[in-house]
Amino acid sequence: MTALVFTGVRKTFGPTVALESLDLELRKGELISLLGPSGCGKTTALRVAAGFERPDMGSVSVEGNDLTNTPAHKRNMGMVFQSYSLFPNLSVKENVEFGLRTRKVPGTARAARVAETLELVQLGPLKNRYPHQLSGGQQQRVALARALAVQPSVLLLDEPLSALDAKVRTSLRDEIRMLQTELGITTLFVTHDQEEALAISDRVGVMSNGRLEQLASPQQIYRQPANAFVARFVGSTNEFVATIIGVHMVRIGPCVFTVPSAKGATGTDVLVLIRPEDLTLAASTESNTLQGVVVQSSFQGASTLLTVRLDDPLTSVIVRTLGTTESRQVGDVVHLVVDPSHGVCAEPGVTT
Amino acid sequence: MAAMSSETTVNNRMNLLGRFGRLGPILVVVATALFFVLPLLAMARFAFQSVPMISLGWSTLFKRWSFEGVTKAFKDEEFRTALGLSLRLAAGTVALTLALLVPTTLWVHVRIPKARTFVEFLTVLPYVIPPIALVAGILPLKPHARWFLNSNYSLIPFYAVLALPFTFRSLDAGVKALDVKTLVDASRSLGAGWGTTIRRVIVPNIRSAIVSASFLTAAVVLGEYAIARTLLKRTLPAFMQQYQGREPQGGMALALAALVGTTALFALLSVLTRPRRAREVDEPATTTVTRQAMA
Repeated sequence: MTALVFTGVRKTFGPTVALESLDLELRKGELISLLGPSGCGKTTALRVAAGFERPDMGSVSVEGNDLTNTPAHKRNMGMVFQSYSLFPNLSVKENVEFGLRTRKVPGTARAARVAETLELVQLGPLKNRYPHQLSGGQQQRVALARALAVQPSVLLLDEPLSALDAKVRTSLRDEIRMLQTELGITTLFVTHDQEEALAISDRVGVMSNGRLEQLASPQQIYRQPANAFVARFVGSTNEFVATIIGVHMVRIGPCVFTVPSAKGATGTDVLVLIRPEDLTLAASTESNTLQGVVVQSSFQGASTLLTVRLDDPLTSVIVRTLGTTESRQVGDVVHLVVDPSHGVCAEPGVTT
Repeated sequence: MAAMSSETTVNNRMNLLGRFGRLGPILVVVATALFFVLPLLAMARFAFQSVPMISLGWSTLFKRWSFEGVTKAFKDEEFRTALGLSLRLAAGTVALTLALLVPTTLWVHVRIPKARTFVEFLTVLPYVIPPIALVAGILPLKPHARWFLNSNYSLIPFYAVLALPFTFRSLDAGVKALDVKTLVDASRSLGAGWGTTIRRVIVPNIRSAIVSASFLTAAVVLGEYAIARTLLKRTLPAFMQQYQGREPQGGMALALAALVGTTALFALLSVLTRPRRAREVDEPATTTVTRQAMA
């Protein structure tokens, strides 16, 4: 069953097209992340869902009810914002019960709901504090409790973690996912942080220039990106200009590989993107390898990133090696094997 | 020897400079204070000493001081009427100004931020155009709007316009200090309409700005003379001007009392609008605890 549906939503601000024909369906209880660079339209999509922006074309519906022309305060959606949005004049408890008061929930039921929601985010003991007496992470958790207290039909999260430091961000991210799964609440999460999106989403929508480039599971987004933009935006890639030499067969320098997504006439150039972990170090005796010299080695803890300058084609690539057994020093000559089975994306007609 | 002597001279100069460096600011403050206080003291002597003008000098400095001038003025029936009218006009102007400007400032910040500079320019106009020009523009309309201009309260809209430069700036600064767009969005997403949002979220958070705008508006109303005189209204400043002609000493005493009153008003304003206390508790996030508890 679908909970939130965008149908052909278009939104412009003057000459700028913020959203171009957005079609998106959130299933009940699902968490979808909209991921993309600044200005890609992800926040606009969220604001259209919340009712803060009215679309120029298309519609937004929740559980079958068209809400396109319904004002924001009548939509029953909960929202957590990027900047701290707690009302400074109200205590934690009063902030959480704000939405219940506007819904005229009776006193005893209201108090019970506030206590229950604050318990969910583990902030019961701080209920009498004021926002300025809380840390950033605590403020965002109160904001989450405030949004959840009204039992919204959809929870909208507008980069709620971006103002927090790395450690709090990770733990709050996990808490959000835990609560979302526990309560089974349909959630639209907007972020520019790919790690965040991949970590907590059921599906990820990658956006660019107001368009949804791909909507798929985090694994698919990473392993089978729909196009070069998605591949480049999510994770790191090595880019090669390859020549098609047969059906799904390409040549990169001296090596020949099978790339399932490579299509085009023999002799045409295509852009092939390969993830750093799909390049592995090989023995010098192995055939069909790319040869190069390590120019930089960066220890990352669980893995090491090597920058290798290849002889043919003349380019630099990044290789992720696991553990210390494969570590190489700067200046070492290495041979690389390309694993073409996954993570390879070919874009026909690209010559640079 | 010569070297030692020149060193001593340099040291002396530096000591002198150092002393002046310390004394300089104090001298400036004292000079400024005298510049402001001496005329007030002269006013006070004229108003509260029952000594003929010609005899006012050092020898009579402590003689025959009395508050008779001001008490006499306070007892004057006309004074009470004028003061009452001015206070009612001040209250009315404050109410009208806030009712118009709080939503306007909010709307400008939330919906049309690009128009802020234009609105700011508009609100400065009463500062640039003399009040008398405003009245001159209204007088030709008098035959058509006699029912309105005959009422004492017809002054309220004029005063609201005159107070615009102060009130808009004050409210604008208050709203600017808040992330008002996010607060409005948060409030609306929680089911509050515009009325509830203004009443429960915005107004309590710009309380200082509202208090400050109200006092400034009141000060403008209590001191305005040109419009009241031209429209023949007996407000406090108009009464004071007329009373001065009749009772020079009492008039001066009233002027001094008004000055003290306004100063007290602004002192009260600065107390009421003191910035919020600095963050009291800066407790680290309890995330670790939470995670452990949840695990």
